[in-house]
Amino acid sequence: MGFLAPWFLGGLAALGVPVFVHLLRKHVTIPRPVSSLMFFERGTQSSTRHRRLRYLLLFALRFALLLLVVLAFADPFVRRPAADVNGHLMLIVLDDSFSMRAGTRFADAKQQALATLAAKPHSQRAQMMALGGQFVVLTQAITDEGQLRSALESIRSGDGHANFGELGRSIRALSETERGPIDLHLFSDMQRTAMPGNFADMVLPANVTLVLHAVAKGSAPPNWTIESVSAPAELADPKDPKRSRVQAVVAGFGTPAAEKTVSLVVNGKAIATRNVSVPANGRATVQFAPIDVGYGFNRCELRIEGGGDSFPADDRSVFVIRRSDPERVLFVHAANDARSGLYFGAALGAATQASFVLQSVTADQTTDLDPSKYAFVVLSDAVTLPSIFEHTLAQYVSKGGSVLIALGTGAGHHTRIPLWGGDVKDAHDYVRSGGAATVGQVDFTHPALEQAQPARDNGGWAETKIFYAAVVDPGQARVAARLGDGTPLLLDRQIGEGHVLLLTSGLENLTNDLPLHPVFVAFVDKAARYLSGSERLSGSRLVDSFVQLRSGGEPVGEVANVEVIDPDGRRPLSLNEARTVQTFRLRRAGFYQIRFANGRDAVIGVNPDRRESDLESIAPDVQQLWNGSKGEASIQTAAAGDDAKYRPVSLWWYVMLLALIVAVAETVVASGYMGTQREDA
Amino acid sequence: MQRFLDPAVLAGISSLDLLAKTVVDGFVAGLHRSPDFGFSQEFAEYRAYVPGDDLRHVDWNLFARTERCYLKRYRGETNSQLVILLDASNSMQYTSGPPKKMDYARFIAASLFYLAIRNQRDAAGLIVFDDEVREYVRPSTRVGQLARLFAGLEQAEPRARTDFGKPLQHFQQLLHRRGIAIVISDFYEEPEKIVHAIEPLRFHGNDVVLFHILDPEEIRPVLKGPALLVDLETDQEIEVIPEYTKTTYRAKMEAHIEQLRSRTRATGMDYRLLVTDQPLDEALREYLTLRQAGN
Repeated sequence: MGFLAPWFLGGLAALGVPVFVHLLRKHVTIPRPVSSLMFFERGTQSSTRHRRLRYLLLFALRFALLLLVVLAFADPFVRRPAADVNGHLMLIVLDDSFSMRAGTRFADAKQQALATLAAKPHSQRAQMMALGGQFVVLTQAITDEGQLRSALESIRSGDGHANFGELGRSIRALSETERGPIDLHLFSDMQRTAMPGNFADMVLPANVTLVLHAVAKGSAPPNWTIESVSAPAELADPKDPKRSRVQAVVAGFGTPAAEKTVSLVVNGKAIATRNVSVPANGRATVQFAPIDVGYGFNRCELRIEGGGDSFPADDRSVFVIRRSDPERVLFVHAANDARSGLYFGAALGAATQASFVLQSVTADQTTDLDPSKYAFVVLSDAVTLPSIFEHTLAQYVSKGGSVLIALGTGAGHHTRIPLWGGDVKDAHDYVRSGGAATVGQVDFTHPALEQAQPARDNGGWAETKIFYAAVVDPGQARVAARLGDGTPLLLDRQIGEGHVLLLTSGLENLTNDLPLHPVFVAFVDKAARYLSGSERLSGSRLVDSFVQLRSGGEPVGEVANVEVIDPDGRRPLSLNEARTVQTFRLRRAGFYQIRFANGRDAVIGVNPDRRESDLESIAPDVQQLWNGSKGEASIQTAAAGDDAKYRPVSLWWYVMLLALIVAVAETVVASGYMGTQREDA
Repeated sequence: MQRFLDPAVLAGISSLDLLAKTVVDGFVAGLHRSPDFGFSQEFAEYRAYVPGDDLRHVDWNLFARTERCYLKRYRGETNSQLVILLDASNSMQYTSGPPKKMDYARFIAASLFYLAIRNQRDAAGLIVFDDEVREYVRPSTRVGQLARLFAGLEQAEPRARTDFGKPLQHFQQLLHRRGIAIVISDFYEEPEKIVHAIEPLRFHGNDVVLFHILDPEEIRPVLKGPALLVDLETDQEIEVIPEYTKTTYRAKMEAHIEQLRSRTRATGMDYRLLVTDQPLDEALREYLTLRQAGN
């Protein structure tokens, strides 16, 4: 409201009039004549008291009347949402990412959102959304404030990683259906790490007006966190110095140099403690080795002791180590192929995350073998298998087993690919054509090729040279890697509950030089974990990652239920979902216990994305750039944003109406009093 | 002048005969019956002769038939005399709303004068007094008497204070003949003193009537708050609270009226309380009816 009109100060002096009249001026009593005082007697005390009471009522009315008139001159106003906002759609997006747990950010953001919702005109439509690991639409565009409020209050601080790029994409998609003007109120800590790599992803459509409600003020508070943990998901020998160790990186964001104590907790019991000196705003590595864990799933946790920062929720990192005996891998190779087993076995042995024992056999020796006793099967240029083994292998795959098929030079003579269901259409002999092919496209999201941040050399694949590759029709298979000429190099096909990974080149150094490059070890390691399924059974994941509970194919025979127990001990899947759902999103940080459709059990540690630990906010100029560069009025503060959304509504008429009512009341009271005086006269 | 002759008022009064309670001496036979027996034509009674009686009144016819000597007596008819004593003190100008007590008293007096002179052919006179006699119009039936009376009423503006004692001797000097004496006043005096002052009029054979004029507010005063009251006659001021006027004052006023009524009637006078919000004709009619019934 505004009252500081020039008339206001001048008009205030008028308030002295009733004060003078009623409190300072001497009261004059008009004598009332009577015929005779023969029957009257004097009475004084009560008369004074009564008169004052009557005067005070009149005084209050007159004072209020003058005050209201003065207010009317002051032209008071209230800020109301502009009349044209009724046509606007109000989008309230509340950031519930992990970083909002720091301090009172989430509570502040929710409170501001509730206040904004309360100020919304009744007729204006609004829609409630949450921006955490995923962009969640909580309500449709409605005007029901109760429903909107309950939706807003139902939002709890999550463990996900906010991404303003996803927000931009979602809003752009929304604006396709909502053509009218949209007021987007974003309540967030405006974390810098929530920005996408490309600013263009954040850009909002022209009909969207962004109002930023930043809850994080000032510079980011210092925060230490366990940035990453390297631990074996599978451990066969705790005394193995290569694998039985846990490495963690302790990072500080905006922190001074400090000595930190990190504890390794296994199944709730701290088994080791290390001190580490973390440089100012830097990182330090701490290592625990060897790890003495028992058989089965071991729920492990690395913890920064002592806290000392403003965000204690990220001072721990959980993971699971499953101790078991080394799993066997059946490596079937052609009779004349001795190299592939050597290279593959060496790479498998170098892998740190899992323990496998390679059993190499020729194709002829597979007749009596039972593939179900192996973690997975590798067919290295073994295009001709005994039919009984091929049949057994097909059943093995359909029940959840996995096979890696490498097509060496033998594929050129036999067009049929066992298990694959397709043939080799052609073969590219790049040597004959005078060179070698390179790997052009790599799908780094595929579990066998997964790299979080691939290097510029195509994640190490650019160095490899492919001399020979079979041409296979991908069909419905997923192409994980292609050569420079587009020839599929790595294909993944789901068969039943199992997977078949097809490498259109060999595993020896004749058809390519892949085994000679470091990326081969990583590929074999990840492919082995992917094919064995141990990737899914233990280790750690990030919040909002997905776990595939069953294959995507049509269920055959009796439908097996899956079971998920979240960190709180609840079962998030309904019975119907347990029979049908294929994937499950890990929403919460902590340990998930999962039973897959193929009957295997898993315990997975889930951690928030460590990018959430960097509490640094987006620079003000970037925020200004984002919300349309509308000048200082629209930067940072919600109040400034509110100015654009609200218009002053004058209360002049209401004040005058009230003054009129008071004037009538004053007249009535005064008339009564004056009437008494007339009677007295 | 004509405001005293409100036709509506006179229409109500002229339907009634003003019958004096007391028959006074008079020369002109009229409608009024006298308590004395005289030479009128209306037979009254026979009375046995006693020595000393005038032999002219003996009924000789009866003596011839019965040989007893009786006197034949007749009811005498004569004109009456109306004298109104009007209080013109300052207290009479009090009003809580029209009319003032003084005006109300003038209306009553004018109505009675008109009634007496035009209808009854009675002599009428006026005495205006406060603490002394300020105006005197001798009772008469002469032409123009009504105008003189009205002029006397017109000039009777309230002033000074009431004192019944001082003008009393003048009343007795001025009222030679018996008749009807009407005292119009608000009687703010002790009833004892009032009766003591007026009672001598009764001794002369006058039929005395007291018209007690009061404003409704004087009987039941209403105060919305404490008020400073000033006496119209003495200019004395006192502050009064509403609680008192609702209780003690009313009780005192009622006691005063009742005492005045009982005292006056005890001495053979009539008393009538007239409140200024009562219709004027109603008050006179009630009074005249009462007088007629009394005879």
